[in-house]
Amino acid sequence: MAVTEKDILNKLYFVAGCMFVFIFLVVYKLVDIQFIQGDKYRDLGVKRAVENVEIPANRGNVYSADGSLLATSIPKYDIRLDAVQPQNKTFQEYIKPLCDSLAKFTGKPASYHQQRIRKARANKNRYYLIARDIGYSDYLRVRNFPLLELGAIKGGLIVEQNTKREHPMGGIAHRSIGYERVDEDGNVTRAGIDGAYGEEYLKGTNGHRLKQKIGNGQWKPITDYNQTEPKDGYDVYTTIDVNIQDIAHHALLEQLEKYKADHGCVVVMETQTGEVKAIANLGRNSEGNYYERRNYAVWESHEPGSTFKLMALTAALEDKVIDTSDVVDTKNGILSFYGKKVRDSKRGGYGKISIGKAFEVSSNTGIVSAIDQHYRSNPKKFVERLYQMNLNQKLDLPILGEGEPIIPHPDNKKRWSGIALQWMAYGYGVSFTPLQTLTFYNAIANNGEMVKPQFLKEVKEFDETIVPFKKEIINPRICSQETVSKVKQLLKNVVDKEHGTGHKLYSPNFSMAGKTGTCQKDYANKDKLNYISSFAGFFPAENPKYSCIVVIHEPDKSVGYYGADVSGPVFKKIAQKIYTDTPLVDEVETLELVDAKTKSDFDTYFELAQKYKTIMPDVVGMSAMDALALLENMDVEVKVKLNGSGIIKKQSVDKSIKLKKNQVIVLEAS
Amino acid sequence: MQKLFDNIKGDRLIWAIAALLAIFSFLPVYSAASNLAYIGGNGNTFTFFVKHFMHLFLGFSIMYAVHRVPYRYFRGISMIMLPIVLVLLVVTMLQGTTIEGANASRWIQIPIVGMSFQTSTLASVVLMVYVARYLSKIKDKTITFKESILPLWVPVFLVLMLILPANFSTTAIIFSMVMMLAFIGGYPVKYLALIIGAGIIGLTMFILVAKAFPGAMPNRVDTWMSRIENFSNGVDTEEDYQIEQAKIAIASGGIKGVGPGKSVQKNFLPQSSSDFIFAIIIEEYGLIGGMVVLVAYMWLLFRIVIAAQKADTVFGKLLVLGVGLPIVFQALINMAVAVELFPVTGQTLPLISSGGTSIWMTCLAIGIILSVSAKREEIKEQENIEDNPLEILSEAI
Repeated sequence: MAVTEKDILNKLYFVAGCMFVFIFLVVYKLVDIQFIQGDKYRDLGVKRAVENVEIPANRGNVYSADGSLLATSIPKYDIRLDAVQPQNKTFQEYIKPLCDSLAKFTGKPASYHQQRIRKARANKNRYYLIARDIGYSDYLRVRNFPLLELGAIKGGLIVEQNTKREHPMGGIAHRSIGYERVDEDGNVTRAGIDGAYGEEYLKGTNGHRLKQKIGNGQWKPITDYNQTEPKDGYDVYTTIDVNIQDIAHHALLEQLEKYKADHGCVVVMETQTGEVKAIANLGRNSEGNYYERRNYAVWESHEPGSTFKLMALTAALEDKVIDTSDVVDTKNGILSFYGKKVRDSKRGGYGKISIGKAFEVSSNTGIVSAIDQHYRSNPKKFVERLYQMNLNQKLDLPILGEGEPIIPHPDNKKRWSGIALQWMAYGYGVSFTPLQTLTFYNAIANNGEMVKPQFLKEVKEFDETIVPFKKEIINPRICSQETVSKVKQLLKNVVDKEHGTGHKLYSPNFSMAGKTGTCQKDYANKDKLNYISSFAGFFPAENPKYSCIVVIHEPDKSVGYYGADVSGPVFKKIAQKIYTDTPLVDEVETLELVDAKTKSDFDTYFELAQKYKTIMPDVVGMSAMDALALLENMDVEVKVKLNGSGIIKKQSVDKSIKLKKNQVIVLEAS
Repeated sequence: MQKLFDNIKGDRLIWAIAALLAIFSFLPVYSAASNLAYIGGNGNTFTFFVKHFMHLFLGFSIMYAVHRVPYRYFRGISMIMLPIVLVLLVVTMLQGTTIEGANASRWIQIPIVGMSFQTSTLASVVLMVYVARYLSKIKDKTITFKESILPLWVPVFLVLMLILPANFSTTAIIFSMVMMLAFIGGYPVKYLALIIGAGIIGLTMFILVAKAFPGAMPNRVDTWMSRIENFSNGVDTEEDYQIEQAKIAIASGGIKGVGPGKSVQKNFLPQSSSDFIFAIIIEEYGLIGGMVVLVAYMWLLFRIVIAAQKADTVFGKLLVLGVGLPIVFQALINMAVAVELFPVTGQTLPLISSGGTSIWMTCLAIGIILSVSAKREEIKEQENIEDNPLEILSEAI
């Protein structure tokens, strides 16, 4: 073979040359990746490793007028166990203590938990539920249980946090406070105030933070700060008064239960401002329990029945076609129009009575014949008068789903009929929501000024008011003061006069005014005939502060169905409690009782302390504690020796003598 | 200390390059370890630092010890070591350590110390010394192909066959390094062609057997089979993901890099502290850092060529090349993988990647080179030859 060193070197140069070519290729590819394909891979890198994570803003709270929390968002935790994750040794070591802790936490025996967790491990369940929807303090507790405290990797702990909307007041006004729900398809259901003001005020704006992936499912923030800070939602202060709400809720509930009614609602409104102080809506579920199911007060438009007689009468009085003292013939209690009959609840009618009395006794025939007599030739005038009083308009509430008011116009041939006017006179063929009816009653109570029902007082960010809500006037004057005074008196008479339908509510202690309503429902089919019992009014009658409506649907006929019996008591209870039982009125002004002697002692002490700084005061007659305090707080440091306690009898240094530093003063007390 | 430095023999520049690479290696290894510490460990990165230091310390101890051994002894040592290595390879293959369910019998546990050791890397060094010994032995003879089969190709193919099932890429690299050495060592080229042919046939046979009897062979075969297939036809795989991450790392590094420890891709690149460390180096230190590392290896190549030139015997030359060129070659392969010039092979970056075996065997190889260059210094001192200006120049660079 005869290899020379030169041969070796020549071949080596060839090999080294090949390697240099190789190196050149590496460098070429490097440059290619960095410069030619660089952008593509850099983008890909960002796409793969950087995420703009949304930081949800905290939703604002909903408060009552007095600052009680009505709706708030709180974190809730689901704790789960990856039963496969812990190593066998760890699992066996901790399973017993874990189950003991769980037993204490849940109240179920440890053996129960042990069996289930062991089964989960055997079935390779990596998502075993330990606790659902627990609060933060419970979460802290469970997290520190044996095994779980080892964390996700060693202990298999899985924690899922989610935010739940809670109503601290429970079921009270639940529906009106409302909520905002998003289902899987992203459809949003908005109910009540929470839903109505969610987008605008409560929601806030979400923040953003750039996070970088550092492993499978693990991300770290790139910067110390958030790219966009989340802005928490504003707090919303409602007009709801929790005390009145509580009264209304329970009064309604009691009556619904008593009459086994299908559903009902109560709204209490402040007369001058239209602020809704309470709104309760209770409906019965299949098990016969009542809870806030729908916002009947806002949503349910129904034929009002006799409560509408107020509107009819107001219109006629305003048109000056009748007066309350005009006499009408109730015609034995039956009127006939085109073969259809209007009946009075009292068989045989009331004979010839004044229109005012017809209202007070709620005579259908009386009111109908009066309206019929004056508007038959021109029903348009009557309807348009009602329109002028804004009765055909929706209230335009922020809460979604307000029912449409219906008052047919004579020009609308489809809806108008030969008996439309007569039926309308006593509340049939028209339709209003309880809140719309109440708004009218409130306008009467408020001397003709119609104000819009107000649900919000203000929108706040911490202590700062962002949006104040002021009283909104729908119509500054729906009718003349004269008409107002007349109908107000009639409404008062309904309760006060012995013949009034609301006289059962009468109480000598406080005054109320209102109108009963007992309206037939589903009257087309006699078997299904049901009633809507209502009562609308205000209190105190003379100078109304609150107006209130109570509507109860489908009371059990065997128990009773008259407005005065079913709904009246709820009204009365609310009026009574607001004016007699609640501390709103009986509030004790101040609990600080000032004792005259204590005060004079303090005054003496204070005076001496101001006056004597270096000179011995006269402390004889002072209490020992006061004397001690006085001397020890002088500008000159002295030593006080006190013998006994009580009142100072003797002082070793006479008064008006200048004191020296560290001088000893002996006080004798009895 | 002074005494220790006095005892350092051989090419000082090779010492320097090795030391520089080793010192530099702490930066990317420590950075890349943060991910390992976070995900697998207890969050303590310092243990990785200490471990790497221990590896390097042991490695340089080996380097120092080996370079003090007169290189003529390596002939004999390789003769003794070859059977030992074969036994170790058999033991390794039989014990069946698995990676992701696939058989990757590459490591054996060293008793007592508790470390694992990749036998194929040791086998590679021993085999190269053995081949260099054989080639230098026959340098003055004319041999027939038949004559060389038993002393040369039987040991070579035995080693390769034992490594192949678990580690195709290492087998291929050792094979090409043996071919290269045989070529440089003057082994007839026509015989080499024959051997390459035989190698290809052998490999094909092996693959066919593996395919025909899937249970008979370790299923690692399937892994590297699919790797090669995917590299050629571009199917998306785990390897593609790795390569893509490596390319993202290189691209985001730019010219100056993102800075020490600031690599993002270390979190996604598996083996970021070993197989893909070059990508991390470029991400953190930019094209500049990458080029510095590349130049360091080129410089090492240059010093190896110089050492070979100056070696006083044919065995010395072949020894230097036989253990030296694979270091540079392996470094190039590692870089080529990161820039997608080569399919994913799992070759480390010598002296920089973490991992004991790689560091120790590289140090062993460098120790051998230094031993050869130390011998020449000895001769030079004894003979006191007149200084050649060219030689002074080449030693200085």
